[in-house]
Amino acid sequence: MSMAMDQRAPAHETAKAPQGERAPARIRARGLGKRYGALQVFRDIDFEVGEREIVAIVGPSGCGKTTLLRCINGLIPLDAGEIVANGERVTQPIAGMAMVFQHFGLFPWKTVTANVAYGLRMAGATRAEIAEKVPYFINLVGLAGFEHAYPYQMSGGMQQRCGLARALAIEPNVLLMDEPFAAVDAQTREILQFELLRIWSERPTAMVFVTHSIEEAVLMGHRVMVLKGRPSSIFEMVDIDLPFPRNRSTLLHPRFAKLREHVWRCVMDEAQAAERELHV
Amino acid sequence: MAQPRFWSGQAIGIAALVAGALVWEIGAQFANPAFVAPFSTTAARMWEYAASGTLTDALASSLAIYVSGMAYAIVVGVGLGLLLARARLLRIGLESYIMILYSTPMVALIPFILSMMGFGFAPKVLVVFLFAVFSVLYNTLEGARSLKPELLEVARSFRSSEYAVWRDILVPYTLPFAMTGIRQGIGRGLVGLVSAEFFLSGSGIGLLIIRSGQDFDVPGLYGAIMVITILGVALMAIGRTLENRFAAWRGLS
Ligand SMILES: Nc1ncnc2c1ncn2[C@@H]1O[C@H](COP(=O)(O)OP(=O)(O)O)[C@@H](O)[C@H]1O
Ligand SMILES: [Mg+2]
Repeated sequence: MSMAMDQRAPAHETAKAPQGERAPARIRARGLGKRYGALQVFRDIDFEVGEREIVAIVGPSGCGKTTLLRCINGLIPLDAGEIVANGERVTQPIAGMAMVFQHFGLFPWKTVTANVAYGLRMAGATRAEIAEKVPYFINLVGLAGFEHAYPYQMSGGMQQRCGLARALAIEPNVLLMDEPFAAVDAQTREILQFELLRIWSERPTAMVFVTHSIEEAVLMGHRVMVLKGRPSSIFEMVDIDLPFPRNRSTLLHPRFAKLREHVWRCVMDEAQAAERELHV
Repeated sequence: MAQPRFWSGQAIGIAALVAGALVWEIGAQFANPAFVAPFSTTAARMWEYAASGTLTDALASSLAIYVSGMAYAIVVGVGLGLLLARARLLRIGLESYIMILYSTPMVALIPFILSMMGFGFAPKVLVVFLFAVFSVLYNTLEGARSLKPELLEVARSFRSSEYAVWRDILVPYTLPFAMTGIRQGIGRGLVGLVSAEFFLSGSGIGLLIIRSGQDFDVPGLYGAIMVITILGVALMAIGRTLENRFAAWRGLS
């Protein structure tokens, strides 16, 4: 890799920010290690996520992506290393961080409105704030008209829109996304990817976006972290120097195919280790 | 589409009941009147009881016991069930006792209660409570434990307090299961009521049944039994309505 792993410039500018203008890191992770009993899941993981940066994490199923996100969220303890987010050492869930779950994590006995209000209520928002923000975020994710629907009445895509609105509603400065679109059909997935990019560019935050889709990782991330091995560790941090805002035309960008190919080789082929010394 | 089918279903149900009453009425003409009273005589005797106030007095006395016992059973069963679902060590400690008591035929405990507490209102309430509480407790506990840990993790991720976990997640999720337990408890509690009124001091509907039996008052006996039956059916209907009402989010109703 010839590219420096610098922090990203604000989203409305292109990714080619002048060197040295390093945005402060929102998340700093140092020497992370985690085991479940005898199973060492990952080790020696170091990375930072800028205030307005999307880091996509890609790796095969079972390599510990969800576990890593749960550690960042403070849901489970680490065995080694430490995570600092918002200047606070993470030992339990902290304010300003919100997770979107692979399984949606909606409360089936709550309507869309009540689900979206949940995070706000837990954050101690007033009634007036909730009454104002909930409809705004329902609208933002395109769920207007479904305010009173229960999760079982909605498709997977709509359920995840609701999960997204619930996370966005607390206006977090760190968004954790655990394969958010893995459980929805291909068309819906594409639509949601671009909607998320649009929403992010309106209000850029730090985001850790876990996926097992290489294409999705390259499309979403300023950088792509490739996890690999057993126990897994960072195989490579790939800079994705595609311009923002990203949209459908990004997929047609000649760089996109190259970067996707590069990440593909990282993920798929151990023997290609030498390849990463070459230019992307 | 559902409406006509519903009404034709109701019509068949009612027709079956009418047919049953007819068979009873006609069949009784050929039976020994010392054992069998026809439907018309039974209904007439119930009407007599109702008019004289005997029935309302008996019902009021029985219902006071029943409602008190059920209230305790619901409060203790639901409360303890939720608590045990959340407190792992307490659950492990008490689990075997709950299983033992859930499987014990409660009638066996009545002589023990009699010797401990004697006659009166309280021991009868205790019997109703004991008959009903374990259905409520068991269903609540198993229901609350079936809550997906993922959802509790969602709650933690959003920094929910323990109080918020109960109010927003544990209680609303468990309510339909608790309602199933309450519906079962309603039936068991009724058995408890009649047992208590038989085996402790006679009172209410139970006493009415005993007296009619002793007096060889066959229509009175049938009438009193029918009152209990109608009470049971009505309470079950209430239980089922409650159960369905709280299960709307499951998309079952
Ligand atoms: N709570 C747990 N207890 C024990 N092992 C677990 C637990 N959660 C995950 N694992 C194991 O840890 C590994 C990583 O899991 P996970 O983080 O879910 O991977 P991914 O999200 O990348 O598919 C897997 O082998 C999985 O079986
Ligand atoms: Mg996962």
